[in-house]
Amino acid sequence: MFDTFAEKKFLLKQLVKRDLTSKYKDSVLGILWSFFNPLLIMLVFTAIFSMLFGRSIENYPVYFLSGRLIYDFYNAGTKGAMNSIKRNAYLLKKIYVPKYMFAVSSICYEFVNFLISFIILFGVMTITGASFHLTSIYAVIPIFLLVILIFGIGLILAVCNTYFSDVGYLYNVFTLLLMYASALFYPIEIVPSSIQILFTLNPVYSAISCFRESVVYGVVPDFSTLLYLAAFAFTVFGIGIILFKIYEKKLVLEI
Amino acid sequence: MGITDKIQGIFGKKEKNVLPANNKNNVAIEVDDLVMEFKVTKDKIDTLKEYVIRTLKRNKKEKEKIRILDGISFKVYRGERVGILGFNGAGKSTLLRILAGIYEPTEGTIKINGKVAPLLEISAGFDKNYTGKNNIYLNGAFLSMDEEYLDSKYDEIVEFSELGEFINYPVKNYSKGMKSKLGFSVATAINPDILIIDEILAVGDIKFKKKSSEKIQSMMKDGVTVLLVSHSILQIKKICDKCIWIENGKIVMEGETKKVCDAYVKSSKKK
Repeated sequence: MFDTFAEKKFLLKQLVKRDLTSKYKDSVLGILWSFFNPLLIMLVFTAIFSMLFGRSIENYPVYFLSGRLIYDFYNAGTKGAMNSIKRNAYLLKKIYVPKYMFAVSSICYEFVNFLISFIILFGVMTITGASFHLTSIYAVIPIFLLVILIFGIGLILAVCNTYFSDVGYLYNVFTLLLMYASALFYPIEIVPSSIQILFTLNPVYSAISCFRESVVYGVVPDFSTLLYLAAFAFTVFGIGIILFKIYEKKLVLEI
Repeated sequence: MGITDKIQGIFGKKEKNVLPANNKNNVAIEVDDLVMEFKVTKDKIDTLKEYVIRTLKRNKKEKEKIRILDGISFKVYRGERVGILGFNGAGKSTLLRILAGIYEPTEGTIKINGKVAPLLEISAGFDKNYTGKNNIYLNGAFLSMDEEYLDSKYDEIVEFSELGEFINYPVKNYSKGMKSKLGFSVATAINPDILIIDEILAVGDIKFKKKSSEKIQSMMKDGVTVLLVSHSILQIKKICDKCIWIENGKIVMEGETKKVCDAYVKSSKKK
């Protein structure tokens, strides 16, 4: 069962497709919500906060959106993976499917959403007259590292949440905290410099700042930040894989 | 014996006997000292708070363990058709689920050589909002078929399911019979080496029942290894050439179908 790559690839494709169709099944606009959701949130934040921070941030909508897209992907990806085992419990008890496939597919699904929302960023940058930079190519690096990080965190949470459902509730609060600690909608300069160090320890903020540097400011991302993000992401990824491997076989008995 | 001979003729048993039955390479399923335990707590600890409190109070209560399977070992050779007998709760379905890969055994090993088609829960993978067509692909993916294979089998599956136009309707509008027809058609589209069956799936109306049991029989005729759980002694006698009788997670008796079945029936009358 699931010995060949073609079989796994096809299963993954089907699972992502299932997620995409089931999410928007009763909505008129369907997948267009993947566009509208970040756009509307951006409009709300711009309306409220550009008055406060508009002077210190040049082109507030782009500043906010560039951070929000990264944070949204992290938030939705890790939560999707966290709940993937519980959500598919009825299936796992009845047929054999490699359990990591559910975590992988929900992250892939969020990645598709993430890519779609780039169109919004592109549109907003065009409308607001922001300049496009060749350094945007470097954005691939923090995005790749972010994906690795999401896989690691997602696998760890998937195991923990299956054993203790409180992990899910705690994590919801944690991601809220994480949002405020990622300088999404305010400039990092307003934070006292002693606390700014904490921000640099936040890997999601690292990804956001590298992404902004390459796409919004047109500079090569800071090497040490990238290095920190890479070290963090791969460590978590390693822990996630090991933990999942150990508990994978016992998960069915816990759901 | 006359009837048995006839049936054996139908199922091509003679061909099977040509094979060197005890050759090591011909083992399809090898189960060695299988133990399966389920943890049962009267009140399951599934929140962190309870877990911490009970750990602190040292009141974590030894989780009760129920042994469903207790040291089962057997071998099934390629092409053999083995029936599994036992009263309710004996552990038959658990055994099949372990062989299908759903559960990981607590102790012991299983070795399986070849592609398995588990006919256990044939419509478990359906998405009710999907059309029949999309569900064929989704379910096929769950049963580890790849895209190319499904494309080549698609027409055959649709034809066998007898759904016709309804294949383009969402499954939530299907009747129970239609759903199981579709599930059966997808599940049997595999060319398996080993067939694992929990009760012969005779689904749908009389017409389809006949068709589905013919389909299973034709799969068996191709020299497929079969593991069948059934409460119908008649069916087991008709299909299987070997039987395993399980009771309280242990093998009570193993051997030729007629002998095991007779002993099993006799013991049921005693109680």
